[in-house]
Amino acid sequence: MDMHPRIHDEPRSEFDRVIPNESELTAGVRIEPGKSYGFFTDTTVCIGCKACEVACKEWNNLPADNLGLTGQSYDNTGSLSANTWRHVAFVEKAGPDGVRGNTQPSFQSGWLMMSDVCKHCHNAPCLEACPTGALFKTEFGTVVVQQDICNGCGYCVPACPFGVVDINTLDGKAHKCTLCYDRLKGGLEPACAKSCPTDSIQFGELNDLHARADRRVEQLHGLGVDSAYLYGVPGGPGATGGLGHLNAFFLLTERPEVYNLPVAPTNPSSRIVPSLLSGLAAVAGLALLAVGLLANRE
Amino acid sequence: MPDRVTLHDPYDKAATPAVTHDTLSVGDWQGPTYYRRPQLKAAPFGNWVVGGYIFCAGLAGASALISTIAGFGRSPQEAGLTRRGRYLALLGPLSAALLIYDLHTPKRFYNMLRIAKRTSPMSIGTWILMSFSSFACLSAAAQFLSDHVPGLRWMRRAARVTDVPAAVAGAGLSTYTASLLSATSTPLWAAAPRSLAVRFGASSVAAGAASLSMGEPSGATRSKLDAVTVAALAAELAATLASHESYRRKGVAEALDGGWGQVEKLGVTALGTVLPLGLQIASSVVARRKPGILSDVASVAVLAGSLLLRVSILAAGDSSAERPGISFRFSQPDNLP
Repeated sequence: MDMHPRIHDEPRSEFDRVIPNESELTAGVRIEPGKSYGFFTDTTVCIGCKACEVACKEWNNLPADNLGLTGQSYDNTGSLSANTWRHVAFVEKAGPDGVRGNTQPSFQSGWLMMSDVCKHCHNAPCLEACPTGALFKTEFGTVVVQQDICNGCGYCVPACPFGVVDINTLDGKAHKCTLCYDRLKGGLEPACAKSCPTDSIQFGELNDLHARADRRVEQLHGLGVDSAYLYGVPGGPGATGGLGHLNAFFLLTERPEVYNLPVAPTNPSSRIVPSLLSGLAAVAGLALLAVGLLANRE
Repeated sequence: MPDRVTLHDPYDKAATPAVTHDTLSVGDWQGPTYYRRPQLKAAPFGNWVVGGYIFCAGLAGASALISTIAGFGRSPQEAGLTRRGRYLALLGPLSAALLIYDLHTPKRFYNMLRIAKRTSPMSIGTWILMSFSSFACLSAAAQFLSDHVPGLRWMRRAARVTDVPAAVAGAGLSTYTASLLSATSTPLWAAAPRSLAVRFGASSVAAGAASLSMGEPSGATRSKLDAVTVAALAAELAATLASHESYRRKGVAEALDGGWGQVEKLGVTALGTVLPLGLQIASSVVARRKPGILSDVASVAVLAGSLLLRVSILAAGDSSAERPGISFRFSQPDNLP
């Protein structure tokens, strides 16, 4: 196999070829088509280092969006966009009177940090809305935009209930996280999960992740963090209104809105039939009136 | 290890602003936001371009529908109405250019024709527009040939055949655009899917009847068209009230606070619905036999209102998506279907 030219910078590297199924070493999971993969993002261990943001930009060759400071805690990224597929949110919790208290329980509990990403919904509204078939469900259960098909109609952008998908006005195509489709094809763990130093972002097969997340919530409840819950698991907040489960789900300790997430999003395509039928009924009624007035033969 | 750690606060507490997750009060919802940053992304549509398309498509679809119905009668007085309706329907295929212009990669517009998808109103609409355009072009061509080529008067019958599928597709064309908006996560568009569709459909019929009325020489036919306009405006007004009630019930009424919300209330409801309704009623009282200037003014107001309806709903929807208070209120569990 051809190697990246920079491999020769390190002649004593012990690897003379790509490690097959590398994800078994780094994430403990073999990547096989036909199974459903995703991310479990445990916000209680996120330290806000933004390694995921950097790894994502490096691997996917994405430019920076913003070189300035927002003044919103350490969040200078702002939001997910066409060029930003991981975004670490920073929240400094207030005391009861709106002022940050100077007495806090231990373990950085005054901070909330969350690495946000495309949720890869089971019934993805962006995919359902796409009129060209550019958005598709991969063999790994993830949702990807095919850049050679997308014509930039932009309909996936308002379809997304999480405000993830975005149009890049320079190339005129829709972009979002691919859950490193190319890496999954090569047996590699997604870049963000691999780079996460605290395993706040865990990559794996969805059933395994759900079991692991349930255990983590139980453990946290045992430690006294009663507010811990899962966002995006079947039946939970985030996985409402016909979206099914979210392949990228989260462990949160505050209301979803605090992290800029909706509590009960809906699948927009559920509104097509009622809307079309009412509109057609109104036009049909007016057409009947017109028949009565205009279509007489005298 | 101490249970609680006391941190040194270098600032005077009173002088430190609370830079935390902002609590925002919108309507009947009060809760946290993430630095008041948008939770959703607004549709990247050109509002005048897409609004213009929705207006033209609705007008064309309704013209095809009304002229087909008039053609059923085969009365010589209404031959002119049928002819103008067939030509006006060409606005549909022509306005497809606006849609292509609004794509961010226009040269790939034909990728819309790779698939048909019932979960995507844009795909449904693509095929409605394609079939409408085909039949409307055939009808208009047959009309032209029967009028201008000697010996081809029989083409009139061919036009009557293609009229029917054009009218059916026209009904879809004049109303699917509301589903296009409602089947998104934009709060204002998603909050009232049924009444928005009735508004768009009725507004299309009103615009079609009003534009056909303006060119109609026969006073009797004109009165009938104006009656269709009045009925459509009444339906639109009722649907407007119903959609505003839905906005209140679902907590997104504040989305119409801004400039485009005022346009929606004053420009669309007052100028586009209430004023022409009044004028038409006045016109039918004053000029019982032959509607004149009052009817013309009403028709122009209907057309302006119909265009403004689409543009203002698009623009107010964008701002509703960008206001986290509104999108968070809309995505509360009580609004689940």
